[in-house]
Amino acid sequence: MSKEETKIDALLTSLWNRNLPLLRERLGTLDRAVAAAASGHLPEILRSEALDIAHKLSGSLGMFGHHRGTEIAREIEAILKDSTPDNLPRLAALAADLRGTLFPEG
Amino acid sequence: MRRILIIDDEDDIREVAALSLEATAGWQIFTASSGLEGISMASTEQPDAILMDVMMPGVDGPATFRRMQEDSTVAHIPVLLLTAKVQGVDQRRFASLGVTGILFKPFDPLTLAQQISEMLGWK
Repeated sequence: MSKEETKIDALLTSLWNRNLPLLRERLGTLDRAVAAAASGHLPEILRSEALDIAHKLSGSLGMFGHHRGTEIAREIEAILKDSTPDNLPRLAALAADLRGTLFPEG
Repeated sequence: MRRILIIDDEDDIREVAALSLEATAGWQIFTASSGLEGISMASTEQPDAILMDVMMPGVDGPATFRRMQEDSTVAHIPVLLLTAKVQGVDQRRFASLGVTGILFKPFDPLTLAQQISEMLGWK
C-alpha cells in the first residue's frame, strides 16, 4: 500500500468510527419509516426524512468500501421516492439487509 | 499547484474528497458547506475548478451553478457536479445546465483526482 493509500485508509477508518453514532441514528430513522409503512401509514415528513437519509447513504457508504450498502440504500431510496402498496413491504427486508451489511456482528 | 473548491453539505464527503485530492494530487483545497458560502469563497479564492454537490439544503447545486453563471467574478470557473443520482434522466438534466462534468457518488478516494483531471483536460 502506498503512502497516499495508507493516509486515505486511515482517514476513512477514522471518519467511519467518528460517524458511527450518526449512522446508527440514521438507521434508526429508516427503521421508524419501515415500521410506519408496515402499519399502513407513513407520514410525509417521515418519508421525506428517510428518503434524504437513504440518498445520503447511497452516496457515501461506497466511499468507505461498503458498496453493497450503497446498492441497498439506492433500492430504499427508489422505493421511498415512488412508494406504492406493492413495493413498500420490501422496505423492511432492505432495511434489515442494510443494517446486517454494515454491522454483521449485530 | 491546482486549487479546488469543494462545496458539499455533508461533512464526511468534504473531508474525504479534500484529503483524497491533497494526498493523491497535491492540490490545494478549499471547502464550503453551502451553495451561498461556496459562491462567496469562489469569488474570493478564484479556484481552478469547483466540485459541487447537487442535493444541498437551501440553494441546491444546480441553483448555485445558475447564480455563479450570473456572477462575472466566478462564471469563468469550471464546475463539476457531484451526485448520487444515477438515473439517466437526472444526468441529462444536470448536463443541460452547462456544467463542465458530472461525477458520481460514491467516488473512489484513490482515483478522484484522476477523474477530475481527465474531465478538465489537465495533464
